[in-house]
Amino acid sequence: MSSRARNLTFKLVLLGDGRVGKTSLVLRYVNNVFSEKQETTVQASYLTKRLVIGGVPITLSIWDTAGQERFHALGPIYYRDADGMYLINTTALLVYDITDSDTFLRVRKWVKELQQMASKDIVMVIAANKSDLIRSKKYDIQEAESYATTIGAKLFLTSAKFGTGINDVFLDIAARLLQKKKSSFQGLSPALPRKGIIVVDDEPEREPPPKCCS
Amino acid sequence: MKSTTAEVDPGSYLLSRTVDGFGFAKQEQSNSTETLSKNRPVDDHPNDREQKTIRKWRKMIGVGGSDWKHYVRRKPHVVKRRIRKGIPDCLRGLVWQLISGSRDLLLMNPGVYEQLVIYETSASELEIIRDISRTFPSHVFYQQRHGLGQRSLYNVLKAYSVYDRDVGYVQGMGFLAGLLLLYMSEEDAFWLLVALLKGAIHAPMEGLYQQAGLPLVQEYLSQFEQLVKEYLPMLGEHFIQEMVNPSMYASQWFITVFSYSFPFPLALRIWDVFLYEGVKVVFQVGLALLRFCHDDLIKLPFEKLLHALKNFPAEAMNPDKLLPLAFSIKVSKRLEEFKREYEKRKERPLPHSLPLLSSSGIPIHNLAGLE
Repeated sequence: MSSRARNLTFKLVLLGDGRVGKTSLVLRYVNNVFSEKQETTVQASYLTKRLVIGGVPITLSIWDTAGQERFHALGPIYYRDADGMYLINTTALLVYDITDSDTFLRVRKWVKELQQMASKDIVMVIAANKSDLIRSKKYDIQEAESYATTIGAKLFLTSAKFGTGINDVFLDIAARLLQKKKSSFQGLSPALPRKGIIVVDDEPEREPPPKCCS
Repeated sequence: MKSTTAEVDPGSYLLSRTVDGFGFAKQEQSNSTETLSKNRPVDDHPNDREQKTIRKWRKMIGVGGSDWKHYVRRKPHVVKRRIRKGIPDCLRGLVWQLISGSRDLLLMNPGVYEQLVIYETSASELEIIRDISRTFPSHVFYQQRHGLGQRSLYNVLKAYSVYDRDVGYVQGMGFLAGLLLLYMSEEDAFWLLVALLKGAIHAPMEGLYQQAGLPLVQEYLSQFEQLVKEYLPMLGEHFIQEMVNPSMYASQWFITVFSYSFPFPLALRIWDVFLYEGVKVVFQVGLALLRFCHDDLIKLPFEKLLHALKNFPAEAMNPDKLLPLAFSIKVSKRLEEFKREYEKRKERPLPHSLPLLSSSGIPIHNLAGLE
């Protein structure tokens, strides 16, 4: 682990089926915008957001990804070396569309893969998106909530369109990562890299500390 | 599946006539449309020079394309030069079909498209539907839910996903098909897609979309990285320092051949050349973009660098500035070498053409040795 820095950077990746609203969630959170005309994502994109939790300045570096599985070989979810592809041990924001139960199955699939390949204490959060269409929901949110509990994740009902629940999701992620970082500093649960798994360490940023927290 | 875009009012854009010369809703950044205005398609009132150009092109093509092959055989350099200057917009659809070899495929396969659209079902239907309204969402042709544009787009993509079930539907294909459909009929667009992906004239590009991680994209990206190191060594070093690799900015260039998020006037000019000369122009344009912004890019840290690589200045988006720069970067020889190295590594030759393309059907008129 790196030495204590004034600004912590945490990396997270958005995962989920096509058209569940990954890009819209991030754009709402980072730029506070929403477009009905959001194009299909065909290339992973990178955005950052700065915030302060309990006086600690944090930078979230967020990777938005394309929904289709075959794009993932291009990064940033997997790391490729001579022996094959490895899932990068990273915080995951799993997104599904509450009006489309298939997209929740995809979340379960991701969770399985993350649990198998990444470390046990990986931080996962689920966003049940498109809550603005709650009347047309075909999927029981309670079932999703209890599923989230079983995997130690929290579930948030979000609407990128109305901007509801978005801050809570990212705040929860940041708070949990901060907690994890603190406890590992105290040596309570040192996160040991497992064999064959790439651990992306949260490096302190080289940039000067930001002026503003939002 | 029930679509979730019920809130979109399809009529508003059509009524307000706030579209540019290509049918895209006008953006707020009025300054960029200004710089691009001289690259508008030759529409209602072409000037004398444009008239002259069109006449030249018509002569070159002949009635319904009858003289084309003959002309290309006789004067390939003239054709290449004229295409690099831009195909007149009113002839673009026809010329694209001629230079891509798709016209021959269409004639060789009567009724096939109809069969694919009407009688076959595809495992990708749901995935296609999910993306339909997210393909060129600001273009008038594709705005209306279940309108002609969206239905055509769906049909072409579905037909392709049936035609090549191994590849199926892949995100990004919609931008190719969507671009083509603005210039030709469904059936013509379908065969042009086939010509590109299965390799009617140039090496097949289906690997851009194949399972197992889009293998051709990975190959192109590693070649592009190599070219950046060789042609722009300082920037290449900077990318390494900042841990920026081409998959973070250039994969969409290859996957959609610049039809995704690039200004339409530029995308069309790139496509003119791409269909005639092949994928090398994607490398050339990519390198030209980096060279154009070289002095700025070299100073930027990771985050700003990635942002800049997706938001090029309007000046760089001017085809008459960017393309001459692109053509001045010679990459054919290096790409040939990369290909040989790659094939040696794989110890098997790349599949080169589809059985469907009999050797008699398609003239190979513009492969190597034109430069």
